[in-house]
Amino acid sequence: MGNADLRDLAVIEDVPFDDLSGSVVAVDAHNWLYRYLTTTVRWTSDDIYTTADGAEVANLVGVVQGLPKFFEHDITPVFVFDGSVVDLKDDEVEERREAREKREEELEQAREEGDSLAVARLDSQTQRLTDTILTTTRKALELLDVPVIEAPAEGEAQAAHMAREGDVDYVGTEDYDALLLGAPLTLRQLTSKGDPELMDFAATLETHDLTWEQLVDAAILMGTDFNEGISGIGPKTAVTAVREHGDLWGVFEARDVYVDNADRIRDLFLNPAVTDDYDYDPDIEPDLEAARAYVCDEWEVDPDEVERGFERIEQSVVQTGLDRWT
Amino acid sequence: MFNAIVSADTLRTTLDSVSVLVDECKIHLEADGLEIRAVDPANVGMVDMRLSSSAFESYETDGGVIGVNLSRLEDIAGMADADQLVHLELDEETRKLHIAIDGLEYTLALIDPDSIRQEPDLPDLDLAAEIVIEGRDIDRAVTAADMVSDHIALGVNEGEEFFYVDAEGDTDDVHLELTREDLIDLTAGPAHSLFSLDYLKDMNKAIPKDAEVRMELGEEFPVKMHFDIAEGEGQVTFMLAPRIQSD
Repeated sequence: MGNADLRDLAVIEDVPFDDLSGSVVAVDAHNWLYRYLTTTVRWTSDDIYTTADGAEVANLVGVVQGLPKFFEHDITPVFVFDGSVVDLKDDEVEERREAREKREEELEQAREEGDSLAVARLDSQTQRLTDTILTTTRKALELLDVPVIEAPAEGEAQAAHMAREGDVDYVGTEDYDALLLGAPLTLRQLTSKGDPELMDFAATLETHDLTWEQLVDAAILMGTDFNEGISGIGPKTAVTAVREHGDLWGVFEARDVYVDNADRIRDLFLNPAVTDDYDYDPDIEPDLEAARAYVCDEWEVDPDEVERGFERIEQSVVQTGLDRWT
Repeated sequence: MFNAIVSADTLRTTLDSVSVLVDECKIHLEADGLEIRAVDPANVGMVDMRLSSSAFESYETDGGVIGVNLSRLEDIAGMADADQLVHLELDEETRKLHIAIDGLEYTLALIDPDSIRQEPDLPDLDLAAEIVIEGRDIDRAVTAADMVSDHIALGVNEGEEFFYVDAEGDTDDVHLELTREDLIDLTAGPAHSLFSLDYLKDMNKAIPKDAEVRMELGEEFPVKMHFDIAEGEGQVTFMLAPRIQSD
């Protein structure tokens, strides 16, 4: 999920939704879904979000409730899904990542000790998105005519690539790693109430007088999803050290420290697996009848939970804006 | 510098025509009167209005722009009887508007105009049909349509030269036809567009019942509605983007 200490370095400001009107946002689909499942939808009522045979469908509620926010502000979302993790799978890098994530889960659970229900819930929340969730989300988006892109590896990296190519205006993710992936402008808090935050890549580099490579190097010193940070190096120290010694290896030498696989980790941010083979139609014409049937009949979601969302989608996509004529 | 005296009635009518769409707006203080242009956050409804200096009992300004919270200003204006006078004076130093109504003094903090949504560009529209209709007929059509649906079709039958209103609900329908004789004027042309009643209802609230409303319409185009307020000293234009038939 990225190192939250990056926030200390990132240039971030609130941006009114109104200012985003007419733009295209490449949404990190896994991150978006995850936020919806953990913060908004899940656990308000368990029964509503599982089918009779126990399959989880809270994601469908998330999709239907989450999309109107884009449409009503005339923002075109393009959902970018993670591809397989095969490329990384037998890497030590991936093993480290998994180990780290596992530790975090255990830590979180320990904090909740004494509340068995909370522990159980936390446990479920830290699970990866299930195949059912990913399949039904894709299908619901398809019926609602929302563009979906399949990334070769990390969706966030693909979204950042599309933004760098100028094919989308923003990357949408909570993850501060978007900055390391060079996403020019990243919108955070798209699932929250209120206005989103805009994270500015160029302004961040300028503020700290760093190159992209140096920013990644500083991040590796601080710790990323793929490595533990160097003990005692926080954001400020990391930036100063990289500026003083030029790059990661300069810092390693000067401080007599080391990070395993540093060159490969660097590459995951600077040269991630992405594809130029993507195409989408930004004109969204949802088949609401089919989407309703899919969500409410096929997957047994209580119509009351999603009807308001469907109505908002219906109204927002057929209502034109005056800017069409200016 | 801005120092003006205006009847509460005129002030309220002016503010109403803008507040049905937005909560905050910029007011341009021009030598010959006030000008306001605003669009709602979804970019669907727009208002373009000017109130001539001659609508005021007295009016002095050397220009400028102020940002106001409309509901706050409306609340204050609501404290006055219709024929009472409202004295408005801008304090340049503190960026506050002093408002005096018969001994009641209110100091209104202004909003930084730069923090208010940018004013929209006027859509460039070439609308084929034009009717002139009484405000009360619009009110009748909107009220009836609202009973059955959340949207309303406005159109002109070019061949038979009448203006019509259609609203289709799940079970009930509303239809209204107004011929050249029922209208104040009609220039026939191909026109049929669907509009959200939410917006039209709000705009309708700001249209005086006795106003002559010049309505321009096209095929799946925005509608423009022009009318006067303040005994002809103020001109308001509403523009509303259509809904388009999804199938």
